[in-house]
Amino acid sequence: MVDSLLSARGLNKQFQSGDEPVPVLVDLSLHLEAGESLALTGRSGSGKSTLLNILCGLEKPDAGVVQVLGETFDTRSTEAGSKADARWGDLRRQQIGVVFQEANLMPALSLLDNVRFRARLAGQSEDGCQDWLERLGIGELADRFPDQVSGGQRQRAALAMVFAMKPALILADEPTGSLDRHTAEAVIGQLFELQTRHGCGLILATHDPELASRCSQHLDLAHLPET
Amino acid sequence: MTLSAALFSHYRRHPLQLLALAAMIVLATMLWTGVHHLTSQARASLDQSESAVAERQQVVRRDGNPLTVDHFVELRRAGLCVMPWLEVSSPEGGRVVGVDPLAAGCFQAPGGQEAPWGGELDGRPFVDISEAAELARDQGSELSLLVSEDHTSGDLPSGYQLVPFSVGPDTGELGDSFLLNLDALGVLVLLITALLVRSVYLLGLAQRRDSFALLHRFGVPQGRVNRLLFVEILLLALVCVVPGIWLGRWLATGLGSGFGQALEGLFDQPLYAGQGGSWLVPLVTMMAVVLVACLADFLRPLARGFAGGNRRSGGLVLLVLLTGLALSVWVTDLLWLFIAVAMVFVAAGMLAPRLIAWLADWRAGHDRDLQARWRHRELSVLARRLALPLVALQFAMAMVLAVQALVTTFESTFDRWLAQRLEADYYIEVPETADPTLAVDWLAEQPELAVSGLWHRVIRGRATLPGGEDEGDARVDVFAIGPVGPLVTGWQLFESAPQPWQSLQQGQGVMVNEQLARRQDVEVGQSLKVTLGSQSFEFLVLAIYPDYGRPAGEILIHPSVLPADFATGFQSLSVSPGDLSIEDVTNGLRRVWQVEELTVRDNRAIEELASAIFDQTFLLTRAMTTLTLILAAIALLMMGWVFFSTRAWYFRLLVVWGLSRRLASAQLVRLSVSLTGAIALLALPLGVWLTWVLVHRINPIAFGWSLPMAVYPRFWLELGVLSLLIGLSIALLMSRQLKSPSVAPVNANVMAGGER
Repeated sequence: MVDSLLSARGLNKQFQSGDEPVPVLVDLSLHLEAGESLALTGRSGSGKSTLLNILCGLEKPDAGVVQVLGETFDTRSTEAGSKADARWGDLRRQQIGVVFQEANLMPALSLLDNVRFRARLAGQSEDGCQDWLERLGIGELADRFPDQVSGGQRQRAALAMVFAMKPALILADEPTGSLDRHTAEAVIGQLFELQTRHGCGLILATHDPELASRCSQHLDLAHLPET
Repeated sequence: MTLSAALFSHYRRHPLQLLALAAMIVLATMLWTGVHHLTSQARASLDQSESAVAERQQVVRRDGNPLTVDHFVELRRAGLCVMPWLEVSSPEGGRVVGVDPLAAGCFQAPGGQEAPWGGELDGRPFVDISEAAELARDQGSELSLLVSEDHTSGDLPSGYQLVPFSVGPDTGELGDSFLLNLDALGVLVLLITALLVRSVYLLGLAQRRDSFALLHRFGVPQGRVNRLLFVEILLLALVCVVPGIWLGRWLATGLGSGFGQALEGLFDQPLYAGQGGSWLVPLVTMMAVVLVACLADFLRPLARGFAGGNRRSGGLVLLVLLTGLALSVWVTDLLWLFIAVAMVFVAAGMLAPRLIAWLADWRAGHDRDLQARWRHRELSVLARRLALPLVALQFAMAMVLAVQALVTTFESTFDRWLAQRLEADYYIEVPETADPTLAVDWLAEQPELAVSGLWHRVIRGRATLPGGEDEGDARVDVFAIGPVGPLVTGWQLFESAPQPWQSLQQGQGVMVNEQLARRQDVEVGQSLKVTLGSQSFEFLVLAIYPDYGRPAGEILIHPSVLPADFATGFQSLSVSPGDLSIEDVTNGLRRVWQVEELTVRDNRAIEELASAIFDQTFLLTRAMTTLTLILAAIALLMMGWVFFSTRAWYFRLLVVWGLSRRLASAQLVRLSVSLTGAIALLALPLGVWLTWVLVHRINPIAFGWSLPMAVYPRFWLELGVLSLLIGLSIALLMSRQLKSPSVAPVNANVMAGGER
């Protein structure tokens, strides 16, 4: 477990709906090695985004342990929250790439500047940024701004940003949810190809069973008895 | 759920936005109505006194003592047509005039004058004498007795004399100019309000854009939606304007006494009660302002706010700016000057957000650091999106800066001037029956005074400056002082010939006040024709001296020059007793004049009173500017917060990408402070220019005297701190949003990639 890319044990999370506690994640565990991919499926509200947020430190679980890239985050730990936040920040900045369904780009920066910005934050060279856009087929759009390109082109730029930072782990939250089928397939194809080529881990939240079947692991949150 | 309910549900979701919109309309209506009410009242008072007392005469006692009812009875029994005139303060604010319609019956005799009121004793401002007498019992007031025109001094019993009845000197256009000044300030407040209301309203429209699109898809005609929006803003305006007007009248009543004191101090003009404007003008004005501000785009669909213009319109704006600046230097008419100010403000307002956006884009283009590039690009977006509240804040800051500088300059100049004018410790009135030369001789003989004290005699009266062929004679005040000594030689002079005080002492010329110099175009070294009594003189102008706080022209002269038939209006002695006590001086004067009582005034008390009156002069101005600034600051804070909220997702992206929340917050702080700091910086030149216009252009035209141009970096610093506080407050509010774990962007047009 120490050598694994990511593992989580006993994760619990609940939200309040008025006075009523609503459990979202109950005693959930998962495990991912480098080069593996995990599909998270489930109905809306089943906790896919919450789990992804927990796995990259954007939200804290009520209980449980997350071990990622050699760092351990335990809710029972007496470590100050700010220190844990700083460690999560370092991980997200340098090793964990996150892709959302939409709005992954800074609207005031061109596509190329977005990619360079992300690479710079990760401590990577900006030299290969244009190449990443080329490889994803949007090299000629490098100087355009996000609102000047299509949704699919924006998502490709988001992937370029993630790969430009050379991540060890990619968390993608329905990255093709707002795209048409043809564009979605192209984007997902490139995501899997690059993930495989670079041997990083991928956790993909999706509604699409076909897409889920392409991942090496599958976790259906809707079928977890407790949720 | 009806269409209107669906449409208006926006404000159920955003009640604070509705509240802000309502508060802005109420506050602006209150401010403008307050000013409008007071200026209408003052204008009516000016007209009233002009028509009521023009060309009339009154009876006064030769010994200068006040008149009483017994004197009225005595004069009536002597067969004179006299009417009592008793001015008192009304409990509702302003002054009322008590008159006796029965006693005034003889005024309406064939060939006589008409009664000096319209026949109504309704408190606007005339009331029955008994009512005024009742009020006078609590506050004290001096009775005047008007005499019909057909009487001459020969008709009067002994001990009385006739003098012209006037409530103050002829102020020419100065009174109107003063009120026009306040009107202009009111218009500026309206402009700022219109910008703020428009910005909040447009924000609401932008947030409802998706709802409108949905209604369109549902087949609802655009015209129907527009009509509902019109009804919505009409209702809101009505609901807010009415209490705003009520509050404005309440504000006017509260400020009325201070404003009345200012009017009286500046122009010797009382503020009469019951003369305020109607409800209709503020109602129509504010409704129009709100409707035009909110619905301008319906009237002119091409209007796209301040920052949306192209390069050609930028050139046009620059032309307007330069034209306004040139006009402000050359025009001499107040109305044109205000038009020039409006041109400069409009152009500066249209340029400011563009300039910030352009500079930010330019910096972004040259930034090698991508974080800085991103920040500058964001700044550019913010400057364009928050253009309206930014411009409102810029205007408010410039206004505050200018008014603060004006008031501070005025205070320090006026204090210095007053201290020079009241250099002596005491001021002693010369009784009408007394021979002032006896006092002069007695004072000159006192060794203690010669060693440690100072004194001079003051004679006041009137002189005439003969006009040219096309213009009539001008009446000016005469201020004769002698001996000329250290009590006056320290006065500041604008311009002077060599050794002016020595020349004055030797009767070789006169000095003139700034008002006279400006009005008659008098310069040092030229000769001035003056008629004193029945004789004409030609005096060399030795100097021009400042004379703040009143409109009348004045010549300063040595008493030895005055001819024997010069009609002395008033005489006094200014005395600093030195080693003597004031009691020693007054006892000595009582002895030589053989009088029981003397009127002695402590000049320090007069100084305090005068300062208090002039503080009141700017009370309204200060209150208006400060409230406007608060309004603009809150609006920008609110708009900034709302707009930043639409960008919150992108700041959260920074956290997602691994920046700590503290670092992301720091980026926010830098961004918001850059924005508010930039607008404060752009407000500075506008404020300094406005200060110059106020002290060098508007003030001389409106008041007849100018002030030195001074800048106060302390105020700049204060504005800088204020802009910093607004920026920090926005950043603080936004930082709270960074903590929320929202996973979806809230920007309305995020599907298009977000605004940039």
